[in-house]
Amino acid sequence: MILAERLEELLYRVTNPTRYIGNEWNAINKEWTGERIKVVLAFPDLYEIGMSHLGLKILYHLLNREDDILCERTYAPWTDMEELMRSECLPLFSLESKHAIRDFDIFGFTLQYEMSYTNILNMLDLAGLPLHSRERGEDYPLVIAGGSTVFNPEPLAPFIDLFFIGEAEEGIVELVRSYDRYRREGLEREEILFKLSQLPGIYVPRFYDVDYQLGKIRGIKPNREGIKERINKQVVTNLDQAFYPVDFIVPHMNIVHDRAVIEVARGCTRGCRFCAAGIAYRPVRERKKETIIRLADQILASTGYEELSLTSLSTVDYSDIGDLIKTMSERYEERKISISLPSLRVDRFSVNLAKEVQRVRKSGLTFAPEAGTQRLRDVINKGVREEDLYDAVRAAFEEGWLTIKLYFMIGLPTETEEDLEGIVKLARNVLNIGREIRKKRQKKMKRIEIHVSVSTFVPKPFTPFQWVEMDSKQEMIKKQEYLRENLKGRGLSFSWNDPELSLLEGVFSRGDRRLASVLEAAWKKGCRFDGWSDHFAFDSWREAFAENNLTIEEYLRSREVEETLPWDHINMGISKKFLIKEYQRALQESLTGDCRFKGCTGCDVCFDLGVNLELVGGEKSAD
Amino acid sequence: MLIRARFAKLSPVRYISHLELMNALRRAFRRAEIPVAYSRGYNPHQLLSMGQPLPVGMTGRGEYFDLELIEGIPPTDFMARVNGKLPQGIKVLEVKEVPAQVKSLMAVVNVAVYLVKMKWADGQPEEKEMINTFMEEKEIKVLRHRRKKKDRLIDIRPLIHDLEITEPGLWRFTVSTGSEGNVRPREIIRALTNYFPEVRPVPLINVEREGLFVRINDRLYQPIDDKVVGS
Repeated sequence: MILAERLEELLYRVTNPTRYIGNEWNAINKEWTGERIKVVLAFPDLYEIGMSHLGLKILYHLLNREDDILCERTYAPWTDMEELMRSECLPLFSLESKHAIRDFDIFGFTLQYEMSYTNILNMLDLAGLPLHSRERGEDYPLVIAGGSTVFNPEPLAPFIDLFFIGEAEEGIVELVRSYDRYRREGLEREEILFKLSQLPGIYVPRFYDVDYQLGKIRGIKPNREGIKERINKQVVTNLDQAFYPVDFIVPHMNIVHDRAVIEVARGCTRGCRFCAAGIAYRPVRERKKETIIRLADQILASTGYEELSLTSLSTVDYSDIGDLIKTMSERYEERKISISLPSLRVDRFSVNLAKEVQRVRKSGLTFAPEAGTQRLRDVINKGVREEDLYDAVRAAFEEGWLTIKLYFMIGLPTETEEDLEGIVKLARNVLNIGREIRKKRQKKMKRIEIHVSVSTFVPKPFTPFQWVEMDSKQEMIKKQEYLRENLKGRGLSFSWNDPELSLLEGVFSRGDRRLASVLEAAWKKGCRFDGWSDHFAFDSWREAFAENNLTIEEYLRSREVEETLPWDHINMGISKKFLIKEYQRALQESLTGDCRFKGCTGCDVCFDLGVNLELVGGEKSAD
Repeated sequence: MLIRARFAKLSPVRYISHLELMNALRRAFRRAEIPVAYSRGYNPHQLLSMGQPLPVGMTGRGEYFDLELIEGIPPTDFMARVNGKLPQGIKVLEVKEVPAQVKSLMAVVNVAVYLVKMKWADGQPEEKEMINTFMEEKEIKVLRHRRKKKDRLIDIRPLIHDLEITEPGLWRFTVSTGSEGNVRPREIIRALTNYFPEVRPVPLINVEREGLFVRINDRLYQPIDDKVVGS
């Protein structure tokens, strides 16, 4: 409580103090009794980013539902707040009870983005914890991590006590209770970790040795009797029946996604070969329409939100999306609640759905053709034809949208100059389609704007492209310059990623344990919030690599298909054989269908993890 | 039906901004299922209007909003329902139905009263003399810092109606606010420190807005007073 009072007196000195005050509507403030197991969930970025993340919200409410567990939240303090905390000797604290993180039993991070890893080290340090797992004895909270980049946990291996691989709804409560039981039995940390490593999906990195030879991995082996060779990803079966919170916290401040969220489905089997999430969250599991409506009613009543987002990796693919959206917009129209779709497929059908939910054409529409030519779109298995795009944008302009955002990637495998020219051509054609429609319209229309957003392809673990070489900085710059030169003029704008940031993301996404010391060195040089351009200090990173006798370039290289990869001991349920086959099909420019419509493609996830497609969203109505 | 409400904004939400406060109110009305009227048009929004914004970090006990409803609801019901759905620190204290043609809060409110904790002061008689000397000045110039604009030298004397010591260490500032002129408590404190070296700077969190008022014939009325709303 003393911490709370000091904070109240100090917070006027920092920007956006609302980030640190907690006490939001629906925040859960449980009493700190001796019996309760205390968990704090951490998001290694700002409050407004972290509070927009669905996974952490699910776990927060799931844990707090249990009477013997209390769960609170913490986020990365912005640099001015960090300065204040260090000068005033304030430790990292939880938003709910303002307890120091050190007072908790479990300190759990979600991993969503490689370039927030320095923030994890910074938060451990601000909490007063030694960075290295081996230096933390029984007196310190257990430091755990999970999330969407956990499938290659290796760069963080020395810092984290254990990783949860997969969807944590399945095992988090058991993990928390087991830890508490072993601790109360008075076991030492090492023994507790050994026992916890026996639970499904739990990976304790200290029990595995990595053997390197000439910069490559020779093998990853358990170093103790009784440790499993591979760690199986955990998956929720029957999403429809799975826990979903309704009493979401309503932040005081404007956050990135400031709306009610209902997860209509999990997973995507479209099979884009660059996409990590498309592999990680297989198979597709849908919620029933009745369940979605029941949850939505409860969420809206509990939060008072005026907007509801139907989220998933590809919401337009929900079995009976047409009927779902019609039902929902009718149901909530009178209460002035708007429905939003996080992403659209590139087709006319999607535009019609967007029309249904968006009475105001306030925001633009975004489409992601990803590549500039049919050839390259076939390589990445993005089943979009040029005509689909033109059809979609034609429908959008006719319906009154004026701004279209197009997403592309550069640096995809087999890319040539023609593919870059293709991006320019597509963008210009879209602009011309818009202008023609505008000319023909009787009603006056504002100017058509096409934003072309081009990100740099980063090869990700557990994708068919996990072996390919990533572009060098010079190549990225050359391609970006070409696009900048050719996407000029009225109605066109172009945005791109910082090449140096992409390089590091590429390094860490396929990185190994040797990068941990680089990470630590960079953090010591002051690196934090690397994903924020005003804080990104590439020179410090370069130095950090040099001090550890490593180079950025060696991590960008292509890998042999036979090579042991740093994440080979993690079992995603997707067979390596399937990924290799998909890689070869990519090079042959041949498409692989979606198992929801075209039959099993042999990725093995259903057999390996004992799960099934759960397409319970109703009969598909005609597209 | 138009209602006017007096409310308090206290710790822990003292740090939320004016816009965040409006959002918090709107969402509480929705949770409480208050029959709020919406604007027409493509992008409907609640017909909610506020009094002068309270600076971030400051608490307030006499804040106001006006809200248009589509059907009548007894003021006590409104208060109970909304208070059950407001985040900790925001509380509706009084609600009154007002005539539809009532002047807006922004138009009528012209006085703000602040309570300032002066940690250095202990209620000695010299402090009262200090205030007298200060108030006898014809002109008191301070530099006003303006966001995205140049600083400007302004005379705050005519905007200060009264300074008094309510108890040792606690001063009350009665000042102009709104369209007729506005002076911030920190500007007065800054001016005081220029005149008297013993006056120490006061962090914003030691200032509370006791209330917003309407001055009619040298008397202060609450904006919810019958004298103001005329019912």
